[in-house]
Amino acid sequence: MDSDLVLVIVVVTALAFDFTNGFHDTANVVATGISTRAIPPRTAVAGAAILNFVGAFISLEVAATVASGIVEADLVTPTIVFAGLIGAIAWNLITWWYGLPSSSSHALIGGVVGAAFAAEGAAAVIGEGLVGDVFIPALIAPLLAFSVAGLGILLAYRIIGRLRPGSVNRGFRHGQLVSGSLLALSHGTNDAQKTMGIITLALIANGSLANGSDPPLWVVVSAATAIALGTYAGGWRIIRTLGTRIIKMDPAQGFAAQGAGATVILASSHFGYPLSTTHTISGAVMGAGAAKRLSAVRWGVAGNIVTAWIFTIPAAGAIGALVYGVTRVFGTGALGPVVVSILVLGLLGAIFGRRFREVPAPPPPVPVGEP
Amino acid sequence: MIATVVDWAALRDVVVASLAAGVGVTVAFSLAILGLTRFADMRRDGKAVEAWAYAGLAIVGLAVSATAVVYGIVLMTSK
Repeated sequence: MDSDLVLVIVVVTALAFDFTNGFHDTANVVATGISTRAIPPRTAVAGAAILNFVGAFISLEVAATVASGIVEADLVTPTIVFAGLIGAIAWNLITWWYGLPSSSSHALIGGVVGAAFAAEGAAAVIGEGLVGDVFIPALIAPLLAFSVAGLGILLAYRIIGRLRPGSVNRGFRHGQLVSGSLLALSHGTNDAQKTMGIITLALIANGSLANGSDPPLWVVVSAATAIALGTYAGGWRIIRTLGTRIIKMDPAQGFAAQGAGATVILASSHFGYPLSTTHTISGAVMGAGAAKRLSAVRWGVAGNIVTAWIFTIPAAGAIGALVYGVTRVFGTGALGPVVVSILVLGLLGAIFGRRFREVPAPPPPVPVGEP
Repeated sequence: MIATVVDWAALRDVVVASLAAGVGVTVAFSLAILGLTRFADMRRDGKAVEAWAYAGLAIVGLAVSATAVVYGIVLMTSK
């Protein structure tokens, strides 16, 4: 009975994480399209939500298990996963509040690593995995996307430099609809899988599913729905940061950034070297801006974003460890997760209740300079 | 330590493929826009040969861009 209750709590928490993952990462997909007026804000988030939903069904590979190769899988319990999820959700909400695009995957990894460390000590954490699968890719993703977008926009400007800005902008805005759609689809295939993986693992650990099983249909549908709803909710603060606060983009830069982002994500996924969507898109936006003019990039904003990236794993880890500690105060049964869930819901209600009653309007399109 | 934990072969493949595809798509689409814009200009000026040359450039640029998008979707579905 206790284990069933913990399972239900883990499933609900995983879906809540999936929702925050959706609205936190909406910006990755739609920010450039909105800021260059390629697509109206509400249409952009609705389209991204639909494509994220569809993307979740395209690939059912659950190899992307939670922190696989980073923590000792044998030591991970449902309570550790629960604490890790709370750490990831908390960090996603904190960075959303400050309008900072940070990696939801890193938040989840950080949360699980922190909870596992609190539960089992350093032996639970695989240092080599953390360096090879998390830290190095976190350096590679923004630098590679920065270079691809920068080189792409430099060559594009050479090709289109003497053309009438009106037709050029119209053309690239049409192109952005396609590149943005590809990004949204790839986001759905990557990120919804994490939640499916978590829930499937929890079901296997609980004995509700045979080892090595594919996720049941209800898991696929609920994960796809949660990420799509989150995407539709739209993290406007982060959209504003990524779309207008780093650089003021023209449609050619928007296309180069989205194209670079989509190709880097797809290439990394294809060759089995997973890179963060957020790091990739943020790097591409900075690259598209810096290639036009170094001073076009607001480096202060870029610095804040990089600082958030650096703190993501330690901060989510610290919250995950704290949550695990609080949970264990109430023993090893379901009482700890139940008490923590009630506390978290109360805290969220107190902080966000007033804010969600005053539904924020989508940001107005920002005037865009011509190439 | 870093030398042993990083999958250098996969990393090299990602860098090469990203640079080729990412830059290639932006260049191809820019050429398509160049072709379409110049095609309209040349046609208006009565320069049929140049107009059709630019139309060809636009078609090739759009074809390359569309192929990249389709290949991207194929990669996603074959994971």
